[in-house]
Amino acid sequence: MKSKKVLSVLMTAVLAVSMLAGCGGGRGTGDAAPTADTAATVETAAAAGAENPAPAQDSSAGGGVVGVALPWLGTQNWAEAEVMFKEQLEAAGYEAIIQAADQKVPQQQQQIESMIENGAKVIVVGPVDGSQLGSVLEKAKDAGVYVIGYDRLLENTTGVDGIVQFGSIQTGELQAQALLQGLKELKGDAPYNIELFGGGPADPNAPNFFTGAMSVLQPLIDDGTLVVVSGQTDFTQCATVDWDNSKAQSRMDALLAGNYSDIEIDGVLSPNDGIARAIITSCENSGQPIPVVSGLDAENESVEWVWSGRQYSTVAKPTNALVAETVSIIDSLLAGNGMPETDVTANNGVIDVPVYELPPVVVTKENAKEVFADDPDRMALLKD
Amino acid sequence: MKYIKKVLGEDLRQYTMVVALIALILIFNIASGGKMITSSNFQNLISGNAYVLVLALGMLMVIVIGQIDLSVGSVAGFAVMVMAITARQFNLPWYIAILVALAIGVIAGAWQGFFLSRLGIPGFITTLGGMMIFRGGVIWISNSISVPVPSELKWFGAGYLPEWGPAFTGMNNSTLLLGIIAIAVYVALQLRKFSHSGDVTGIKEEFWPYAVRIGLVTVIIGYVTWLFGSGRPGTSFPIPGLILVLLIILYHLITERTSFGRHVYAVGGNKSAAELSGVNVKRTYFLTMLNMSILAAVAGILFVGRSTAAGPADGTSWEMDAIASVFIGGAAVSGGVGTVIATMVGGLVMAVLNNGLMLMGVGADKTQVIKGFVLLAAVAFDVYNKKNRR
Amino acid sequence: MANGYILQMKNITKTFPGVKALSDVTLEVSEASIHAICGENGAGKSTLMKVLSGVYPYGSYDGKIIFQGKEMMFRNIKESERAGIVIIHQELTMIPELSVTENIFMGNEIVEKGLINWDKERKRTRELLEKVGLHINPNTIIKNLGVGQQQLVEIAKALSKNVKLLILDEPTSSLNESDSKNLLNLMLGLKKQGITCIMISHKLNEIAAVSDYVTVIRDGQTVDGYAVEAGKVDENKIIKAMVGREIENRYPEHTPKIGEVVLEVSDWNVEDAKVPGKMLCKNSRFNVRAGEIVGFAGLMGAGRTELMRSLFGKTIGIFRGGQIKIHGKNVKIDSVQDAIKNKIAYVPEDRKVLGLNLLDSIRKTTVSANLDAIKTRGLLDFDKERAVAEKYRVSLKTKCSNVGVGVNTLSGGNQQKVVLSKWMFTEPDILILDEPTRGIDVGAKYEIYKLIHELADQGKAIILVSSELPELLGMADRIYTIFEGEITGELPAKDASQESLMKKMTVTA
Repeated sequence: MKSKKVLSVLMTAVLAVSMLAGCGGGRGTGDAAPTADTAATVETAAAAGAENPAPAQDSSAGGGVVGVALPWLGTQNWAEAEVMFKEQLEAAGYEAIIQAADQKVPQQQQQIESMIENGAKVIVVGPVDGSQLGSVLEKAKDAGVYVIGYDRLLENTTGVDGIVQFGSIQTGELQAQALLQGLKELKGDAPYNIELFGGGPADPNAPNFFTGAMSVLQPLIDDGTLVVVSGQTDFTQCATVDWDNSKAQSRMDALLAGNYSDIEIDGVLSPNDGIARAIITSCENSGQPIPVVSGLDAENESVEWVWSGRQYSTVAKPTNALVAETVSIIDSLLAGNGMPETDVTANNGVIDVPVYELPPVVVTKENAKEVFADDPDRMALLKD
Repeated sequence: MKYIKKVLGEDLRQYTMVVALIALILIFNIASGGKMITSSNFQNLISGNAYVLVLALGMLMVIVIGQIDLSVGSVAGFAVMVMAITARQFNLPWYIAILVALAIGVIAGAWQGFFLSRLGIPGFITTLGGMMIFRGGVIWISNSISVPVPSELKWFGAGYLPEWGPAFTGMNNSTLLLGIIAIAVYVALQLRKFSHSGDVTGIKEEFWPYAVRIGLVTVIIGYVTWLFGSGRPGTSFPIPGLILVLLIILYHLITERTSFGRHVYAVGGNKSAAELSGVNVKRTYFLTMLNMSILAAVAGILFVGRSTAAGPADGTSWEMDAIASVFIGGAAVSGGVGTVIATMVGGLVMAVLNNGLMLMGVGADKTQVIKGFVLLAAVAFDVYNKKNRR
Repeated sequence: MANGYILQMKNITKTFPGVKALSDVTLEVSEASIHAICGENGAGKSTLMKVLSGVYPYGSYDGKIIFQGKEMMFRNIKESERAGIVIIHQELTMIPELSVTENIFMGNEIVEKGLINWDKERKRTRELLEKVGLHINPNTIIKNLGVGQQQLVEIAKALSKNVKLLILDEPTSSLNESDSKNLLNLMLGLKKQGITCIMISHKLNEIAAVSDYVTVIRDGQTVDGYAVEAGKVDENKIIKAMVGREIENRYPEHTPKIGEVVLEVSDWNVEDAKVPGKMLCKNSRFNVRAGEIVGFAGLMGAGRTELMRSLFGKTIGIFRGGQIKIHGKNVKIDSVQDAIKNKIAYVPEDRKVLGLNLLDSIRKTTVSANLDAIKTRGLLDFDKERAVAEKYRVSLKTKCSNVGVGVNTLSGGNQQKVVLSKWMFTEPDILILDEPTRGIDVGAKYEIYKLIHELADQGKAIILVSSELPELLGMADRIYTIFEGEITGELPAKDASQESLMKKMTVTA
């Protein structure tokens, strides 16, 4: 009895498949495949228009489909980006497909492909690993889809039309300046004992942050104002794999145990807020006074910490502004005006890519209320 | 009923996963408004999952022999990272680069095979160690930074067959040729089988089930050929898919038609009995692990061909996808059971699920949950079936 | 219980989809007796016992079970155990890594205030062990006990549950002579204490020795039942009832055609890999001629199997010297592959553990030791494979629907035929058969005996290892005895008797 049932399903399935043989596919060049079966030909011709990812000819669905591929939703800025893209894209009349890849490259590759399948005209990509999407992005380009890199550079591919990001060198400079300012304010006179942290090496921004910061710090290290007690000043020594907070905390624990048994640490360069909090926690656990620590992203928890004085500073890269900039580029593209003008380009290993940079903002306790004046969520955190 | 059995064989239960696969494709096609069954999506589906299916081929043999290999993802990542770095450093041509990756696969496999077969350390532990060693190795040698690979490798991970010949066929002629070859080979095999059918029993079988089979397979291959071949000009049945098909044929032959394949099943089914039947158990273990790591390197090459760079996280949790494919394909945890074809169907079920949910815009989180349930359901169904058969 | 029966199973009928396993079986067991049930494999004995013990719950069969005067409706084993019915299965169910005490009280622990009271358990264990005549420390780990002792522990466990009816399924099948005797004596002792035993057995001599009543089951029906007079039973009558035909001679007639010496082993020494210093084989020296059947007699653990397995590619113990000559030439055999190349075949004693891959089909099993012979252009040829399997199915009269079915679906006798065909296909000159008829019913045994004779007539040298002395006396042309790894005697079968063999099997010559 059971196998009979299985069989009937099987037969139905086979039948259905053979019936479906008429639709789907199509060479997409207009000259539909001539086959003996005329019915199939008609269907094919119809299918070619309706289903093929040919964004140039299809404008029925309002402003068109826009895909947004995000690396994951595990940090606040990405989670915010998901919400804001949805709101702003839909407000602008586009149909938004937003997917996050759980930090997995193959997952993201397939998501981008499925966006092409879904007829996206523009795909915004916040890559898991900016250098590992090459062939997929070129496939998008071949299908006539615009690709905009979001927040991170897309390397090693010709399939990218522009990058929207905060100036990453500039971000690093700001982090270093805030660190120096804090040291002068809170830790008395030089010299200051400091340690350096970098971000995830797979993120092309991370070395840039570090380079920017070091351009400010290196002269002061050379003249003895700053002392990196551990001596670890190379990016590879200071990097935090995958931006993983727990790895940063372990490294900080080790640094403190190895170098700070009889001296105090005054400051730490941290590439983002999560790592900053890990560093502060590590210092607290080992009985050190809280050092001056920089940050990035203005995550809620760190905004509270800045407000209460535990973390000296963070750098806000208002997701809102970045999303708004991206959407304005999309508007220009879909209105047929192409990519907006820009002076900045970055070489991604294959081509020079236009870059749209936004300036980041340093946040300390003093200016927090001004910076977040337009951001009710974060304002709510700044209670007295 | 009787007639269907004559066409498809006595054991119809082996088709349940095929039915599930077809059902999934149809359901997703409807749910996504016809976006599932398109040339470009099927091309994506194959080139995006070829590496997992290649891994599953090796994993099948590892699981059949009664072991498990947790290190395949790390070995794949390590092999391609070494390849990428040496290729960049010494400016190696792409074919030398591939040999480098395969050599790393051989070394890694020999290493694990040595611990399993010579020292008798269980595969789970051997490869758990391997997983850490090779993952650590990738991060170490790469400093956690992605390294571009020779651009020719893109052909292996995302390439298409050439376009040639007349345009009136309406599809990629290379794909068409492949389809025709596949049908011709199948017809030839069936006819040969028919002509030999009476040799042992003396009773000649009827011809009509052969004819029906040939007709059915011709329609299916023809449809698949058309589906893959009629995409945007310049596209065809993808190269990684072609590599996969060749490997499937090769491994189908190895598992079914060689002494080594028999030995793998024998060792997995009853190691002591195999030993007393003259099977060199240690050698069989060794070769199985060696083979797995070589396939891991192949999978890595297909993957970096697609992503154009070797990354520090390449291969993370690939072993889980491969293992899931094998078990959905009906292999037994205790070893001795499982086939190449069923494993491929199992892998495709996972791939279609992933692809379909993505087309519908379901997030990675929920996709993961659904895949977990499907794995459980598939294995539970299998166990239930086997119980009922007794 | 007025009628003196502790158990009456009336008109039991049990059907599985498509098969009537039991039809209208009636079994009446008197209080404080030893009741033997015999029948061919697959006759329905085990099914009947599963009905009795609640493995097949009430409602899944037709008929009545009356135990101690009350009708019973067991839904599971727990309920039947509570009523005092305990089965001891052929395969022992002890947990090897745990102690005797832990095993006896497994699932039945003496718990006080949420904790196990080990002192009480151990004390009780000692009492129980005393009852079954086992003088060992209750803390002994099960795996360190012999099979016979483990069986006694099983019985002690049953006693701990206040057993009234003890069912023993083939209790002596894996025991040696002295352990078997010990067990049978224990059953007689239990009988005196008022415990009833049902014994399922093939061994007619054992049935004759202890049982009070014999019930024969054939094809799911009660065929015959009669009381046994004080240790006397007509074996031929039982056999006839079991197989449904008279077997005039349990061993077929055979006139050996003995030729040249084929195998010559000398000074063979093997040390135990687990116990340093203990020798499994001590200076063993023997020979086998073409067409000759040479028996090896010895108690369990005497080193018969060890000797054979070390000859067959040194798959056991540590080799400590010795020579093998085949057809007069020295040969070196370091692996099973070497052994097969030198045309030796070994049919192991434990079919399911060592002889078969139970997941395989008949055809795959048949060719598994000689895959090269079915290759065409380097690939296995399924047509050849099927032809080979088919050939042996016909010539060995293996009962199966076709050669594609799994070997796990076959009865013991047919499984053994498949193992034999696997080794016959390697075309050996020397065939070592280790307990080839264990667990096989009488009818199938006879067929296997005939097959052994045929092989001998083809000029093969045959080594027959067996625990059953009558089998050796009936089959072998010449018999060696082994005691503690040493060959203690060699005598022509026609001059040997059970007594003379037993003497050499227990005392160093």
